[in-house]
Amino acid sequence: MKTTPTTAPAVEFTSAGKTYGTVRALDGLTVSLYPGETVALLGPNGAGKSTTLDLLLGLRTPDAGGQVRLFGTTPRQAVTDGRVGAMLQSGGLMEGVRVREIVSLACDLHPRGYPVEQVLETAGLTGIAERTVDKLSGGQEQRVRFALATAGDSDLLVLDEPTTGMDVTARRAFWSAMRAQAAQGRTVLFATHYLEEADKVADRVLVLHRGRLLADGSAAEIKAMAGVRRVGFTLDAVPDGVLEAQLRALPGVTGTELAGAVVRMRSSDADATVHALYALGLYPRDLEVTGLGLEQAFVTLTSRAEQQGAQAARPAGTDQHTEKKAATK
Amino acid sequence: MKTLVKLEITRSLRNKKFMFFSVVYPSLLYLLIAGRDAGARIPGLAIDMKLYYMVAMAAFGAITAVLIGNSERIAKEREAGWVRQLRLTALPGRGYVTAKIASAATVSLPAILLVLLTGALVMGVRMAAWQWAAVALCSWAGSFVFAALGVAIGYLATGDAVRPITMLCYFGLSFTGGLWLPSFMLPDWVRNVGEWLPTHAYAALGQAVEAGHAPHLGDAALLLAYLVLFASAAAWLYRRDTRTA
Repeated sequence: MKTTPTTAPAVEFTSAGKTYGTVRALDGLTVSLYPGETVALLGPNGAGKSTTLDLLLGLRTPDAGGQVRLFGTTPRQAVTDGRVGAMLQSGGLMEGVRVREIVSLACDLHPRGYPVEQVLETAGLTGIAERTVDKLSGGQEQRVRFALATAGDSDLLVLDEPTTGMDVTARRAFWSAMRAQAAQGRTVLFATHYLEEADKVADRVLVLHRGRLLADGSAAEIKAMAGVRRVGFTLDAVPDGVLEAQLRALPGVTGTELAGAVVRMRSSDADATVHALYALGLYPRDLEVTGLGLEQAFVTLTSRAEQQGAQAARPAGTDQHTEKKAATK
Repeated sequence: MKTLVKLEITRSLRNKKFMFFSVVYPSLLYLLIAGRDAGARIPGLAIDMKLYYMVAMAAFGAITAVLIGNSERIAKEREAGWVRQLRLTALPGRGYVTAKIASAATVSLPAILLVLLTGALVMGVRMAAWQWAAVALCSWAGSFVFAALGVAIGYLATGDAVRPITMLCYFGLSFTGGLWLPSFMLPDWVRNVGEWLPTHAYAALGQAVEAGHAPHLGDAALLLAYLVLFASAAAWLYRRDTRTA
């Protein structure tokens, strides 16, 4: 982990939980984010991402016993001080006004607002500044939200599904603008469904599952945590039933797919699998051993937790370290 | 905050359909109701039809503009998430409420002035200059109370519930408060209730002026109490911990 616990955290969740009626949306989250980190928040729908962001921004208050602090103060105070810029998925725009007007409102409301032209330029809105916000495409609306989030000199940027509705070019432009923000020393927290974005952009990844922190580490660490690799090769001939059974029984193999002579496997111990493969007397061609993408790692982790969750309901308030152990065993 | 107030006003002025409807319709209603017997004396009142309804319709028009305009728009903005986005800025809670009242007042002022103009030019109302000024001022200032009520309703209700609740307040307050029919024509119990309603006090301000008196202190105090009540309700609802903010 890149965290440097000597500096004061930018964001600090302490046993923060939130219950809606009988639904425990967030279950005692304890985690700190440090200045300068770019953190991705991942989780399937209903994992508690939105609740986490709502608590972080002070739009909701945690249940008794939990606490959320931003820069050593309350979220509301931090927002009032202009230390937080946020781009919400659910954040609507003011109807009946022009792009320039709404952006200049945001610049004006921010205690350390930037000049309007500069914000429009950075968000790629200069060309459509005079357009009414009601008449924008989904991607253009997202750019306006980005402009609202970056209208002033904030220390923390919170982005909920920021690239939804953007095409590939816009998405690339967005992340390069985002990197520029991070390069200025800002802490960036974003929730996303696009795991390749988390893989490329984030230097720390948090995986939420059913209101609990399932994993916390770099993208590489998360992938290693899933502990599975892919082994692919081509045989000289289509394997018969006996050979197929032998392949499936190779050590470490958790899944096998056959397409003619092409074999694709998932293995929790790729070294042992490949060793045993040669021991069968086979000569596999085009052998490839690859790590999982973050996406597969994510699916592996969450479905594993799903199974464990079905076996035993764990007590509330477990901290991240026991969660991590639970995820890796 | 000044930028938001300015932007809300600009936006109201741009909404031509709503502006036209809100500004013109109270005057038309005034002509319709009081046009025939403009000079008829209303028994038990010191003023005649044209005077009574001039203030009543100015009040009714102002309420139309601020109550309906505010409640529906705010409910819509909450649903769209704009209020959530605003809550993530340094804007204080009262800033939003102030901006909404200001933009509503922009629409209500021309509506009031047009009713007074209709009174002077078409209905032949003659008053001293101070009375004109005082009637306009009372009608305008009183409309703030209903603008605050509109904000509170916009925060209280969502989606489909906004319109019925607004309409209930709108027609209920207007009728019971004596804006459509002078109070003495209403059943006793309605009149008794009506005397405590903001609409009654609102119209009474201007009608006292028309009769040549200063507005009653009791009416002004009642309106002020309602303003505080509605504005605090609006501010409390704004800060409430809800998903739709």
